[in-house]
Amino acid sequence: MIVELGHYALVLAFALTLIQSVVPVWGAVRENERLMAVAPPVSIAMFFLVLLSFTALTIAYLNSDFSVQNVWENSHSAKPLVYKITGVWGNHEGSLLLWALILVFFGALVGYFGTNLPAPLRAATLGVQGWVTAGFLLFMLSTSNPFNRIPNPPAEGNDLNPLLQDIGLAIHPPLLYVGYVGFSITFSFAVAALILGRIDAAWARWVRPWTLLAWCFLTLGISMGSYWAYYELGWGGWWFWDPVENASFMPWLAGTALLHSAIVMEKRDALKVWTILLAIFTFSLSLLGTFLVRSGVLTSVHAFATDPARGVFILVLLCLFIGGSLSLFAWRAPLLKQGGLFAPISREGALVFNNLFLTAACAAVLVGTLYPLALDAVTGEKISVGPPFFNLTFGPLMIPLLMAVPYGPILAWKRGDLLAASQRLYAAFGLSILLTLFTFWLWGMEKVLAPLGVGLAVWVMAGAVAEIVTRVKLTEVGLARGFARLKGLPGSAWGTATAHFGIGVTALGIVASSAFQEEKVLTMAPGDTVNVSGYAVTFDGAAPRQGPNYIEDVGHFTVRQAGVVIAELDPSKRLYPARQMPTTEAGIHTLILSQIYVSLGEPRDTGAIDVRIYYKPLITLIWIGTLFMALGAVFSMADRRLRVGAPKPAARRKAVPQAAPAE
Amino acid sequence: MLLWILIAAMTAAASLAILVPLSRRRTADQQTPTPAADEAVYRQQLDEIDRDLERGLIDRTAADAARTEIARRLLAANERREAEAPRHQSTVSLRTGQALAILALPAFALGLYIFLGSPNLPDQPLSARLEAPTENQTVEELVARVERHLADNPEDGQGWAVIAPVYMSLGNPQASARAYANVIRLLGPTVERVTDMGEAMTMANDGIVSASARSAFERAVGMDPTAVKPRFFLALALGQEGKTDEAIAAWETLLEGADPREPWVPVARAELERLGGTPPTLAETLRGPSREDMDAAAQMSAEDRQAMIAGMVEGLAARLQSEGGSPAEWQRLVRAYAVMGEPDKAHAALRQARDAFGTDQAALGQINATARELGLTVP
Repeated sequence: MIVELGHYALVLAFALTLIQSVVPVWGAVRENERLMAVAPPVSIAMFFLVLLSFTALTIAYLNSDFSVQNVWENSHSAKPLVYKITGVWGNHEGSLLLWALILVFFGALVGYFGTNLPAPLRAATLGVQGWVTAGFLLFMLSTSNPFNRIPNPPAEGNDLNPLLQDIGLAIHPPLLYVGYVGFSITFSFAVAALILGRIDAAWARWVRPWTLLAWCFLTLGISMGSYWAYYELGWGGWWFWDPVENASFMPWLAGTALLHSAIVMEKRDALKVWTILLAIFTFSLSLLGTFLVRSGVLTSVHAFATDPARGVFILVLLCLFIGGSLSLFAWRAPLLKQGGLFAPISREGALVFNNLFLTAACAAVLVGTLYPLALDAVTGEKISVGPPFFNLTFGPLMIPLLMAVPYGPILAWKRGDLLAASQRLYAAFGLSILLTLFTFWLWGMEKVLAPLGVGLAVWVMAGAVAEIVTRVKLTEVGLARGFARLKGLPGSAWGTATAHFGIGVTALGIVASSAFQEEKVLTMAPGDTVNVSGYAVTFDGAAPRQGPNYIEDVGHFTVRQAGVVIAELDPSKRLYPARQMPTTEAGIHTLILSQIYVSLGEPRDTGAIDVRIYYKPLITLIWIGTLFMALGAVFSMADRRLRVGAPKPAARRKAVPQAAPAE
Repeated sequence: MLLWILIAAMTAAASLAILVPLSRRRTADQQTPTPAADEAVYRQQLDEIDRDLERGLIDRTAADAARTEIARRLLAANERREAEAPRHQSTVSLRTGQALAILALPAFALGLYIFLGSPNLPDQPLSARLEAPTENQTVEELVARVERHLADNPEDGQGWAVIAPVYMSLGNPQASARAYANVIRLLGPTVERVTDMGEAMTMANDGIVSASARSAFERAVGMDPTAVKPRFFLALALGQEGKTDEAIAAWETLLEGADPREPWVPVARAELERLGGTPPTLAETLRGPSREDMDAAAQMSAEDRQAMIAGMVEGLAARLQSEGGSPAEWQRLVRAYAVMGEPDKAHAALRQARDAFGTDQAALGQINATARELGLTVP
């Protein structure tokens, strides 16, 4: 009964989305208060219905109810509890249900907390969110229904793809989805603004917390995925420019540009075209990613469904949403009057520069991802666009951008003074030169470019600190008063500085780990010792071991530094017999910020084994940096000026005029 | 039923989510202040400029310029609000909305659900399915249940003995062979167990008698030199190995005095012929009506024929009572009573047959199958 209840909840939610798509939007256009008032309660009802549906499916998984086709295809009664739960979204239908759940979740958030929004904007936004939700629910109900039943169920299920039986995969997709799908709400805001013809500075302020929220989760989701690839795929790399990774990275680049562009729109009523288009493109890129992953165009871990009918459906959805929103944009373009004017050297100018480079980088990634697919479709020729392409296109675009990052927050609005700004950055500049020289002195002529990379990363980090220091005039007012002023800084200032600092940290991790890593690929017999960057790694032997649903060969390694044992590593190669799939588990030892990474290759008959050993200096900074970025987003969201209204209309109305306390 | 009640409740809640805001009359005071919302944003921006100026983040001229700009936006927002006349609220669209909520929503949702869903199919959690009474379970579920039990108690020989023939009939001879090996390990070897294991191994090997299967059959023959089944497979093995003469000899010994109704006999004869031997003519060992009896019956009147058949059935019954007989003979007796329209006697015969084969599962299975086929209740 629970399963059928979940199924009905999904159908009823679909029926509600159809009403939500029409009634509030009509009300917003006709300015009919009561029709508009339908949107918030319906958005909340939809959320509860889809949540019920998701819960019902989860219960079916927990109970191994193989009368549900989806459970039978993707679960097994002997699977550990945590993978029974994660198995819910570890497949095509279930992950779509998670998609839909997050869509309606964001709708419900706007419905519940969006009391500071003008009624027409809120109603139209929820209506547009309803369109997107309707499209996805229709997709599910017609081609990928997770509640299809088997009347005479088999006694045992087919089990989950072993690569997905990992705790990283329990966290990575939900985080990524919250980010990915979260941009749907900024899309809805943009389309609603286009429908209503009201695109102004206030709109940008209202959209900002939602963009930040989605961006924060997307950052964490990508970062998690990267770390998972690093320890699970066994090649020591953390980013592969794989089409599926790119599919999540493109919305991130566009979303980052959107975030910055919206600031200009909020403060100066300028860059409206940029902001609206970026809002549309960010979500379109999320949809494109979904299309690439779900249509069977790509083959990878993520490609659950390889059913052409599904691909065509998503393609139609994609065309409808992108085409529809762009037509709307073309219709409303005359309304997008340019607001404030500004000189090229100014905060606005710096943010336009940022937009240009981020979108160019995004376009480079898009070309690199789609070109092989297009070529294959047109000529049948198969090529693969690998890291060299991206390193040559994406890399050079990032260098000027990183150089400019510290200037952005320091330049004045409207008309900036480059010289004055540079003066504020003297210290940061000096520090970065110093560290460049220091790195150069350490490594000599061996690595010429790497010290420059280190210098660039330090420049970004020091620039972020310099921004905060100059903001509070720490050098002029002294420590005591300066500290008090630090506390008084608005959250968004802290957010900017923290996120920019995080960019520098990640950049430092990337430069250091790729330029100074030491890699040893060799065949080791038991007892052999190899020296990697001053650490002696001894191979003690390998032994087979039986896991719950896999067999593995485990190698045992001892890491010594100056004769003292500092770590023991047990990397392994696993084979999941149910699906005849091998996986590798790297042995990783973290030394504060650097890591020793050992991965097993093929065993030899003599008892020896192929081994890859890496010393990766400062590699953890890559992921620590992303944590700083996400934290920056949290600081910005916590800014009380952005705080979305609590759902108490009566109290709120009085609060608004005083909502600007002296900070 | 509960499902439909909950469905109705959910639908009602969804309709209310539309109806309540539609019918709530808002006073002017409660209206969400549209232009006021953006005015509030601009006011905050003005305050921000004051703070930035106070901190020295911008100089006075920049602050003044920004203030002018924001003030202009604030004025525009204010004018927009003033200009906005309260619109006439169309009741037509309200009525449409209410109709959607009351009629279209439930009709659409229910219709689509009945088209897509399976409201009559209950949940079937695996644990509940495995705990359900045995009669209601499918063979697969029973197997899963025994497998679960054996996974927890791998030393339970009886369990393996139950599941081994089931695997065989489900077409999984590999699993059956493994199960028989466990039975022999735990309960000790008997002719039947060893032979059945060899048979399962042979089936798993696409009918080719492997060396290990062969040694199993030899072991069975060692325990009982008269056992037919292992000798059958050994003869087969000889033929497969190309030892034609030995194979012919083995088949001939096997067919000596065999009951032609045994299922293996035609196979053995065919095999013998294929190898170039001459199958012996076999005596009718199962006593039944002779050709003369049949011809006589054909020429008799209906009553007489009935009497003759009844007489023969009574003869069979008497013989089975005193001497006992094969499952096939008991089945024939039960069938005869049932056809003659004497269910009481059929049941009585059935009971006797079951008593006679008290522990022989295979024979009981055959007899029960006949009983079911005839619609007799198996006690």
